[in-house]
Amino acid sequence: MARIDLQDASLTFSLRQTRNVTLKEYLLKGMFLRSVNPKLPVRALDGITLRAGDGDRIGIIGHNGAGKSTLLKLIAGVYPPTRGTRVVDGRICSLFDIALGFEFEATGWDNIRYRSYLQGESPKSLTHKIAEIAEFTELGDFLKTPVRYYSAGMMVRLAFAIATAVEPEVLLIDEVLSVGDHAFQAKANERMKQLMSRSRLMVMVSHSMDSIIRMCSHALLLRQGTIQMQGDPDDVVRTYLEGIAPTNASHPVGGLIDAATQPAAAVEAIQEPVLAP
Amino acid sequence: MLRHLSSIWTFRHFWMSLVKMDLMTRYRKSVLGIGWSLLQPIAMTAILTVVFSQIGPRGQTVETGWRHYSIMTFAALTVFGFLRDSCLHGCRCLTHNEAYIRQCPLPFSIYSLRTVLGLTIHFLITVMVIVAMAVLFQGAEATLPTLWMLAPMLPLIVLCGWALATIAGFATVYFNDVSHILEIAAQMLFFLTPVIYERKILIGEDASRAWLVDYNPAAAFIETFQRPLVYHEPASTLAYSLTVGFTLAMVVLACLTIRYLSKRVIFHM
Repeated sequence: MARIDLQDASLTFSLRQTRNVTLKEYLLKGMFLRSVNPKLPVRALDGITLRAGDGDRIGIIGHNGAGKSTLLKLIAGVYPPTRGTRVVDGRICSLFDIALGFEFEATGWDNIRYRSYLQGESPKSLTHKIAEIAEFTELGDFLKTPVRYYSAGMMVRLAFAIATAVEPEVLLIDEVLSVGDHAFQAKANERMKQLMSRSRLMVMVSHSMDSIIRMCSHALLLRQGTIQMQGDPDDVVRTYLEGIAPTNASHPVGGLIDAATQPAAAVEAIQEPVLAP
Repeated sequence: MLRHLSSIWTFRHFWMSLVKMDLMTRYRKSVLGIGWSLLQPIAMTAILTVVFSQIGPRGQTVETGWRHYSIMTFAALTVFGFLRDSCLHGCRCLTHNEAYIRQCPLPFSIYSLRTVLGLTIHFLITVMVIVAMAVLFQGAEATLPTLWMLAPMLPLIVLCGWALATIAGFATVYFNDVSHILEIAAQMLFFLTPVIYERKILIGEDASRAWLVDYNPAAAFIETFQRPLVYHEPASTLAYSLTVGFTLAMVVLACLTIRYLSKRVIFHM
């Protein structure tokens, strides 16, 4: 049985001006020197409660930075919730940034193997699928060359063919419905339909309102990391579209910066970056 | 822990294929292929043997014989090199695999395994060359009967290498400086360990300096390889105890690091 159960799940990132903390910064922090690289907590997701089971098709919509992709990654287990609980049962197949994680020095054939193994396939189970994956990519002899010679479109074809060759129980999709050129898109859409019908539970992030209405049984509207509305996809999409008109209205993006608990210098550092002369 | 081990096993095809790819990529279009990895310690050993037979401290190789010295040094360089590389290459094991970490919640141990297994393959080939050299210089009758003593040491040193790589990998995500600090520490340790000198030369007349070698885990690992190969006898009990104790301590520390940081480290990448 496939199941997603998020209870009051929140995710807070601690941003810094520079990505890594130096040892000096770590040792001196809180001692006698003021930190030059203070933490700034950003609530990317706040109090998300979501229950889904077999047969559910959930669509997530919202502005850029509303937390849609972060929510998918939380469901996938890439990010653990910093508050609340996450329970997911079933074999997860995630189609996030599908071009991510290629081994550029390896050939297309080798990358099919690595990424299939990453999705839990074994050499035995892959024997039956590898020819079909290769055929779907339509890359022919290019599969014998290292991936670093591929164009972005070719890489997406390869990634899409591998990622959609699995038998998922929980399918997580982040904006992958418009891959490749026009010829490939029709094929990819057909493949996606098959994949969705095979999966027991699907959660999809998309900016295509048409796809959300057609493919989902339930929709969530996210705004600054919180669920603003959920329910029937038609109603949620209508609310979202009404919210973005007129086009010059302001639409806050990103999670909430928890400025109240932080020193003013940290907030200023993020909000007013100093430009180099 | 059992779930973690089971997950490593489930994804064995993934990390094993990455190890294979790393090796193939490293030596692709190279004339000597994996021979380059062997050539470096062989050349170093040859140079040290020649140098120390001419100008070494108190004619080290004259005293012990150049054949004896070359096997000792080659074994020490190989063991020390494996432990040093596990730490230094391990520093990049998580950052180098960030794309996978951001896509799929796999057990973090597999990334340090990827690094250490690649090093292990080189290490095992080099050990075979050392054994062949020992057979050539000392004869098969003298060398082969004590070779079994190396068998338990091989998995132990690989386990120690994995633990060191894991700890270094997590530490580097938090502090960029770790790899630089470890590089300097490895250089210092090289001269505090009987790698190119014999133990008595490093300690000298002053017995109070003996602890530098006696309680040095790298020296203990080196002794457990050198003694069976060169003197055809087991290493001291202290050396075996120290290698086992140090490895266990590092493995426990690596497991605790994974347990404590596996849900936190993603926020620092």
